[in-house]
Amino acid sequence: MPQTTQRHTVCRASELPPGERKIVEINGRSIGVFNVHGNYHALRNICPHQMAPLCQGKVTGTTLPSKPNEYQWDREGEIVRCPWHGWEFDILTGKSVFNPHKLRVKTYKVTIEQDDAQARSGACPASESGEDPSVETFPVSVEDGLVVLHV
Amino acid sequence: MTTTTAPTAASADAADSGKQLSLIDCDVHNAFSSPDEIARYLPKYFRQRGLSLPGRAGFSSPLGVARADAVPDEGGKPGSSIAKMREQLIDAYNMDYVILTGGGILSCGVHAEADYGAAVARAYNEWFAEKWLDADPRMLGSLLVAPNNPAEAVKEIRRIGGHERLVQVIMTSATRTALGDRFYWPIYEAACEMGMPVAVHPGAESTGIANTFAPGFPASYFEWHSNLSQNYMGQVSSLISRGVFCEFPQLKFVCIEGGIGWAPHLMWRLDKNWKSLRATTPWLTRPPSEYLVEHIRFTTQPIEEPEKKDHLLQILDMVHAEKTVMFSSDYPHWDNDCPVHGLPKLPEPLKQRIMWQNAAELYNLKPR
Ligand code: FES
Repeated sequence: MPQTTQRHTVCRASELPPGERKIVEINGRSIGVFNVHGNYHALRNICPHQMAPLCQGKVTGTTLPSKPNEYQWDREGEIVRCPWHGWEFDILTGKSVFNPHKLRVKTYKVTIEQDDAQARSGACPASESGEDPSVETFPVSVEDGLVVLHV
Repeated sequence: MTTTTAPTAASADAADSGKQLSLIDCDVHNAFSSPDEIARYLPKYFRQRGLSLPGRAGFSSPLGVARADAVPDEGGKPGSSIAKMREQLIDAYNMDYVILTGGGILSCGVHAEADYGAAVARAYNEWFAEKWLDADPRMLGSLLVAPNNPAEAVKEIRRIGGHERLVQVIMTSATRTALGDRFYWPIYEAACEMGMPVAVHPGAESTGIANTFAPGFPASYFEWHSNLSQNYMGQVSSLISRGVFCEFPQLKFVCIEGGIGWAPHLMWRLDKNWKSLRATTPWLTRPPSEYLVEHIRFTTQPIEEPEKKDHLLQILDMVHAEKTVMFSSDYPHWDNDCPVHGLPKLPEPLKQRIMWQNAAELYNLKPR
């Protein structure tokens, strides 16, 4: 069955810089939106283990599989550790690190979209909004746009 | 199993009042935020050095010890805020009672300077009395003692053991010599006099004078934590075989956070060996497993999570969980179990025994 999703504005992109997360409530569902190195990802805020608020956990890296006595730290900023028992999840895919094929948390699509109101005011404040043309306006780029969650 | 104990007044009350109790949490950690909070209760000579407890071997948990979401709103250590504990645990799950077991302090029991260790235990109890004892009618306390100083432990038990809100004696499960040894018997005697169970809790293994587990030193927090059960296995074996429960027939002994999965093995092995070697422990007049079921109580957290949930139900059956197992969350520690999602679905009568009845009987708790 095709799934229809709705768009929900989370915040302005500049309010969610790399390394940060924001937890939002949409239709009674708690969802964590993460900015990982400039890309946005969203995970359901429920850990499949004992239902802890997963997205409140530490954003970190992890050790890659290696031989005994070797430690290779990598993926900094791409892993969230459940605040309770520390299970690690890949923020990019929702998959758990210890059992990626069976255990995962739901992910959602996130896009960055232009803020129409700003775009309009940036493009032509006087003619479209009818406001005082002396109001200071800013050029708008997509980077400064809105973080939109598709649920 | 042939042993039956007559129902106590508490169990009769609890049964009469039926559904009024529904959830008792037997391991909740109340923490102090700064060592000075405890140190100021030390006697002058020891106070000058502040609180100085034996440390771990240097390995630590990458998760920390506490749950990342349990930091109090006003800051400070998880477990140090009465309000946060109410919000995240007691009110959140509508708990009837929680048994507070302290936090970051048990290792006073493996301090090489046994008098200092005992002084710390006493200072902790004083602090507890001031901050927690009357904080909430649902919070009950544990009286801390340092087992490597039985004489002082006995004094402390006699000093405050009669307080109705202190429901058990607690000490570290790490010891210099196994807990069945006569060295510790004065502690058990005093606890029985006061009508209190004795509980042990992990934390001080591989620190201080209790240096390691039987096979040798663990090399990581992972190995350390996974080995804790092995220590409990040895302690229970020692308590039973050295005759502690023959000498103190009223004594109940609570094994907190030590696991349960190993218990069937120990029960069966003790019974098998007893049939052949009974003459070496003539005081044991019944199969050792019967002493275990009558005197030992286990808490659930960290509950074993086998691949097939049914296997855990079978183990609970094997250890007579309807008598021996009590729910615990271990809030706010990282390995806590959620009261709602932590255990697999249990048959209703067993669920009631584990979630509250066994604890209500052990600690004599009635609906408020
Ligand atoms: S609830 Fe997330 S790891 Fe247990």
